[in-house]
Amino acid sequence: MLGFVARRLLYLIPVLVAVSLLTFLIASLLPGDLAYVILGDQATPEKVEALRHDMGLNQPIWWRYLSWLGHVLQGEFGRSFRTGQTVLQAVAERLPVSFELMILAEIIGLAIGVPFAIACAVRSGSAFDRFMTGSAFGMLSVPTFLSAILLIYLFAVELRWLPATGYVPFQEDAVGNLRFFVLPALTLAFAEWPGIMRVLRSDMIATLQEDYIAMAKAKGLKPSRILFVHALKPSSLTLVTITGINIGRLIGGAVIVETIFALPGIGRLLVGAIYTRDLIILQGVVLLVAAGFVIMNFIVDMLYAVLDPRIRHGHA
Amino acid sequence: MTAAIRSRKLAQIFLGAAFGAALLAGPASAEKQGGSITVGLEADIPGFDPLKVGVFDTAAETAAAAIFDTLVYLDDKGQPQPKLALSWTHSDDYKTWTFKLRPGVKFQDGTPFNAEAVKANFDRQKDPANKCRCAFYIAYIRDVQASDELTVVYNLNDPQVNQPALMTIQSSNNVIQSPTAWKTKGEEYNRNPVGTGPYILKSWTAGDRMVLEKNPDYWDKGHPYLDRIVLKPLPDAQSRFASLQSGEADLVWDDEYDADNIQKAQKDPKLTVHTYTGSGAAVYAFNTKVAPFDDLRVRQALVMAIDRKKMSQAITNGLARPASNPYGDGSWVKCKDDGALPNDVEKAKALIRDYGKPVEFKMIVTPTPRGRNIGQVLQQFWKQVGANMEIEQVEQATIVPRAFMRQFQLIPWRIIDLADPDVQMYANFHTGSPVALANYSNPELDKLLEHARVTADPEKRTEDYCAVGRLINQEAIWFWTFQNTYYAISSSKLKGLPKIYSGVIDVSNVWME
Repeated sequence: MLGFVARRLLYLIPVLVAVSLLTFLIASLLPGDLAYVILGDQATPEKVEALRHDMGLNQPIWWRYLSWLGHVLQGEFGRSFRTGQTVLQAVAERLPVSFELMILAEIIGLAIGVPFAIACAVRSGSAFDRFMTGSAFGMLSVPTFLSAILLIYLFAVELRWLPATGYVPFQEDAVGNLRFFVLPALTLAFAEWPGIMRVLRSDMIATLQEDYIAMAKAKGLKPSRILFVHALKPSSLTLVTITGINIGRLIGGAVIVETIFALPGIGRLLVGAIYTRDLIILQGVVLLVAAGFVIMNFIVDMLYAVLDPRIRHGHA
Repeated sequence: MTAAIRSRKLAQIFLGAAFGAALLAGPASAEKQGGSITVGLEADIPGFDPLKVGVFDTAAETAAAAIFDTLVYLDDKGQPQPKLALSWTHSDDYKTWTFKLRPGVKFQDGTPFNAEAVKANFDRQKDPANKCRCAFYIAYIRDVQASDELTVVYNLNDPQVNQPALMTIQSSNNVIQSPTAWKTKGEEYNRNPVGTGPYILKSWTAGDRMVLEKNPDYWDKGHPYLDRIVLKPLPDAQSRFASLQSGEADLVWDDEYDADNIQKAQKDPKLTVHTYTGSGAAVYAFNTKVAPFDDLRVRQALVMAIDRKKMSQAITNGLARPASNPYGDGSWVKCKDDGALPNDVEKAKALIRDYGKPVEFKMIVTPTPRGRNIGQVLQQFWKQVGANMEIEQVEQATIVPRAFMRQFQLIPWRIIDLADPDVQMYANFHTGSPVALANYSNPELDKLLEHARVTADPEKRTEDYCAVGRLINQEAIWFWTFQNTYYAISSSKLKGLPKIYSGVIDVSNVWME
């Protein structure tokens, strides 16, 4: 097992290097030279040249990449030229928001998706199954900006049960904090549960046709025990994958949802950085998020091994 | 307001010193003390240190209006009034302005406010070593001298007859910050600003909320009214409006591209729509040095093809107000005849036919839904008269250098709402200026602009500027589509909001009924 973990960790290094290179390239290739951005409406050619020189923008791109990477390896991600905040400060301020949103959205998504998946798998082909599969498909097709506005309209404007926008830190007001998170988490969960349901349902249908399930039935085990103990665990491999990927994706911030609900998370930080060409923040945050994503996938790989001993012992 | 009344008002400016001792209006009986409001702004505020952020956007200016004071403020009639300055006088050539400062004022950290503090703010921005982007806008001011504890002298490179009015926007150039605070806080000052203003920054969560609390020692006794102001960035227009409807926000920023919600709010008795049409306009410049715009007939034809009413309908449900000159309803420059070319499709077609060659060109637009919309509408108008325009989407950050280098045929620009037209008109149209984008030179135009900037009499200046407007309209080197109109929507209980000058929502003196 230890060897397996070590091998997997080694794989992370080239991935992270590739990610850092891509991040840097994307940020550098964005239209709009940084010197022009900083100078704004006084970007006379002489001033631009002087600033480019000061900022090292005249150096070749590989040199700039290596010097940035060198700083990053020492934990120096740089400072925003607009706010003076360091990348780590900015991320530390925003991460708890995106993290909480992600956890709540996944919990709600799983709470809706898993029971429906099991119910559909048991009665596969029934009217209920067809109805649920159809609704899941429908829900998948609803973009988050639409469901967000509909939820705001219903719960904030009409019923006035929940706030439309805003945020309060958990340690300041726990109940208030959760109230602010209900609508955004629901919005995200609406997009998550259909995927969860569809994947788990089809895996489960396959599992239920396995010989050992027939065997368990023949032994006279209770149907609920067969379903939750014998069938659910082996059926959940794909589910773990997509949950892992979703979590990784949401660490990067649910950009649209955070913008609509005015949550001060990583997604808003990124959007702001893009609009204002705050490339230092942009590069740093994208790299950190990508690293988080890669590490999340690493954890998912580890979970596979726990769920299915064949992976642990094989040549994965 | 008629031109005559307006010019009389302006004449009073120059007697400003005589009225200078008058304080800000004292609280009347209707104004209620206490309470708090939440304001939804369009964007995150990056900070307040001019050396860091350069220039404030309107969201930052809303906060700056509460935390800081300016020397002078603009009342609802457009007249400069004393704030941190009590009175002012000027030299005969309008190149030296002397301000007497209000005594006994302290910054929120206890630093005394005086002439040295004003000078320190200016010097810090002007110092070439600091490379402040804000320096551009004070380039016309040569230096600021503290001649005694409470007297500052502004020495200008160019004459400026309306200097006090130009110092009223709560911009990074105009608000007075505590020199002690920026010296002691260093890097951290940007997000921990200290001013003399009616509100003190209590807490600030990046991307979320800025809490401002009443300054108990504010120099203007009885002010401000509210105990607390919470500023929140609400970037999405729909949810921003929903927050107002649900009562989480009491006031929100808006613009005419959110026309549906503005029109909804106009019908809602629980909401008030605050709107102000300032001076200036959304404008476009032809590069008159390159074909086909080196030919007057083509430029005139394209301008005549534009139906601004239709365009407003298509883009903003009719909210955007057509502009026929660069001054606008908010300016004191009122022209009986601005020489605007009529919307005449037949005449335009004839001009293009007369030109004889195919009219094909590229127009730069911003890569935003708004920019594309405008481009497409203009494209249709011009197609009608036989001109083919190709839309070229260019990032905002790249538009500016392209403008400076004159790498364009037709480029969008903006004339912002300022209390005096001189700064922008001179920069945009005088021969040799870096932003005289049309590459057009005309001795008569130069003479009018030079005369207008050294003339004190508003009526004579109005004549000059109207002549300038006529000349530009007839030569069609630039054209104007819509006036600058600014919006805010609030709960109808919110009172005392001043005009939204330059798009700055100033909540420093409002109260809740």
